Amino acid sequence: MIDKMQKTVLKANSISKAFLNVKAVNNISFAVEQGDIYAFLGPNGAGKTTTLRMLLDIIKPDSGHIEWNLNGKQNLLPDAEHIGYLPEERGLYLDIPILKSLVYLATIRGMEKTHAKKAALEWMERLGLADRAKEKLQVLSKGNQQKIQFVASILHKPEFAILDEPFSGLDPLNQEIFIDFIKEINNQGTTILLSAHQMSLVEKVANKLFLINNGKEVYNGSLSGIYQSFGEKIIIELQLESPFNETTFQNLKGVDSVIRVDDFRAKITYGPQSSMKNVLHDLTKIDGICDITSHKPDLHEIFLQLVKKQ
Amino acid sequence: MKYLKQVITVTSWEFSRFFKPKNEALGIVIMLVVSTVFFFGGRYAFSDSDKKLEISVLNNTDVTLTEFLNSHYVLNEIPIDDKANFIGDLGNERDRVLLEAYSDNFILHAYKNTSDINKIKAHLTEYHKQSEMQKIGLSPDELTTVLSPAPVIESFVYTDNSGKRVVLSYFFAGIMLMAVFLSFAYQFTAITGEKQLKITEQIVSAISPQVWMDGKIFGITLTGISSMLIYAVLSIVGGMLFFQFRGLPASGILDYIYLPSIVIYLPFALVGILTWNAILAAIASIITEPNNSGKSSLMMLPLVFVIASFLVTRDPDSGLSIFLSWFPLTSATSMPMRWAITEVGYWQLAGSFILMVLTFYFLRKLAAKIFRVSILITGKEPTFSEVYKLSKQA
Repeated sequence: MIDKMQKTVLKANSISKAFLNVKAVNNISFAVEQGDIYAFLGPNGAGKTTTLRMLLDIIKPDSGHIEWNLNGKQNLLPDAEHIGYLPEERGLYLDIPILKSLVYLATIRGMEKTHAKKAALEWMERLGLADRAKEKLQVLSKGNQQKIQFVASILHKPEFAILDEPFSGLDPLNQEIFIDFIKEINNQGTTILLSAHQMSLVEKVANKLFLINNGKEVYNGSLSGIYQSFGEKIIIELQLESPFNETTFQNLKGVDSVIRVDDFRAKITYGPQSSMKNVLHDLTKIDGICDITSHKPDLHEIFLQLVKKQ
Repeated sequence: MKYLKQVITVTSWEFSRFFKPKNEALGIVIMLVVSTVFFFGGRYAFSDSDKKLEISVLNNTDVTLTEFLNSHYVLNEIPIDDKANFIGDLGNERDRVLLEAYSDNFILHAYKNTSDINKIKAHLTEYHKQSEMQKIGLSPDELTTVLSPAPVIESFVYTDNSGKRVVLSYFFAGIMLMAVFLSFAYQFTAITGEKQLKITEQIVSAISPQVWMDGKIFGITLTGISSMLIYAVLSIVGGMLFFQFRGLPASGILDYIYLPSIVIYLPFALVGILTWNAILAAIASIITEPNNSGKSSLMMLPLVFVIASFLVTRDPDSGLSIFLSWFPLTSATSMPMRWAITEVGYWQLAGSFILMVLTFYFLRKLAAKIFRVSILITGKEPTFSEVYKLSKQA
């Protein structure tokens, strides 16, 4: 476990980017500190990938600026050897032996060929693919291909890794494996900035969050902070005997919002000041409720609430 | 230093991706097999061409004509009465030819017009000239004098424009054609293929578009030059074998190899191929779907530049040839070709070369810029105007 000093390694100040008339990223600011697993969360098209590309200077922001502070080089984009990148649009040379591709991608990031080969073989050993190092990538299953792509982005042991949608296209089992990989490289000293839209997965791995929607900031802070600020609410899910009228619930004391799941199911969110005792007391006065469940909001629900407020 | 190291890494990667000694060896074996089949097949096919052609004449044909024809053909005289049968039978006996000779004309009967008919016509023209000359009373010696070409003794100051030099200049152009085809194929795979495999973004996050582009251009050029050298050496060996088969000394090939021309040709070829590769790379950068893109045909553009160079051999001192040998996209082939067959000052060589080097320098920068803006346009293939607008903004 590394000593997580509070050193800011990346700072984005009021960056914006538009494509034609569409504002993909709209005046956002955030800072990543050494040792963080910082998650960029948002739906498809929210501006996550554009932001990550700006950080890597693949595209330039229209306004605002980005400061890096890695390897003693302040303000400048660090050399490739200090950064790892798993793009959303990812692939590898399908017709070339896996080991050869991995070594090449590590060497263009400044790693010595012999070290790259050793590290690649170690990773392949871990993935149970050591005996297939000389085979072409196209013979591997899709899941294994994605693992190799992940390895290609962090093989050179970067200080900072940017992972764009690392869980995309993975089955639940492989999603868990990737979460372990991310935690492991973070523990070995790599600061992680990842983007995702699978909130439940991010909850398991990130310590900081940036929620983004339509290019704008929705929330920026720690994972624990978002629960403290927005997670104290009570969510009640009701099953009713007959179609209901939303105003019946909206008029109840402490209700923040009512969502009609379907004609017979409602999702009611109570503010943090509400107590379960009062909530149940009020609900028992309403006829036709045949089932009640309650829970604290998860990240997905918090995100939806914040977007609604925005 | 870092730039150089990265370019070398990408160059050697591209070279190792495309230059496959095993495939080259296989290609050479196939080429040798095909050449051998063509050589011996051709010899077999034309083995009967030395045989004298058999033609028939009517038995009343003039003796002077039959004696003349006898020296060229196997002559078969047939009775006049058989003429109709002979002509009627041409549908079955298709190789037969019947010549009827009259005082003012000849009639040839055959199944169809062939090269043999042209050969007979040429001989009849010769016979006709001789008989007409004799009619006006010329002796055979006088006849020979009249028919012989003008006795011109040639004396030139510049004597290096021989047929052998022309052959060498065609050889240069042929090798360059091969380089264009190889570059076209490899550059297409290297850039559009990589875009399709979605590797590009990962690469350009590690190295600058300029490093990426330079590595591609140098790597593919190196691959093309390696193949060119192999096939150039093979062509020389093939030429030596050809001489041997023809009963000439194999060393005869050395008469065609003019070392100073080759020394001039190599740097021109190198920078020329680099320049064409820069153009090809720029075009490939804006192609997303190689199978459906209308821009794919633009990849054949360098081919036009090589083909244009063939015009140099017609008149190496014409204005057009001089232009082609200076124009940076054609000079790689045209200047060494001109230099091989006419007088070209060293200042022209140097000027044309420097112009080509500068063109390459700026084209590779342009290619990198086009690539950089093209990767930003996702979901569809960028149009030329989009690339132009973005390039201006970048």
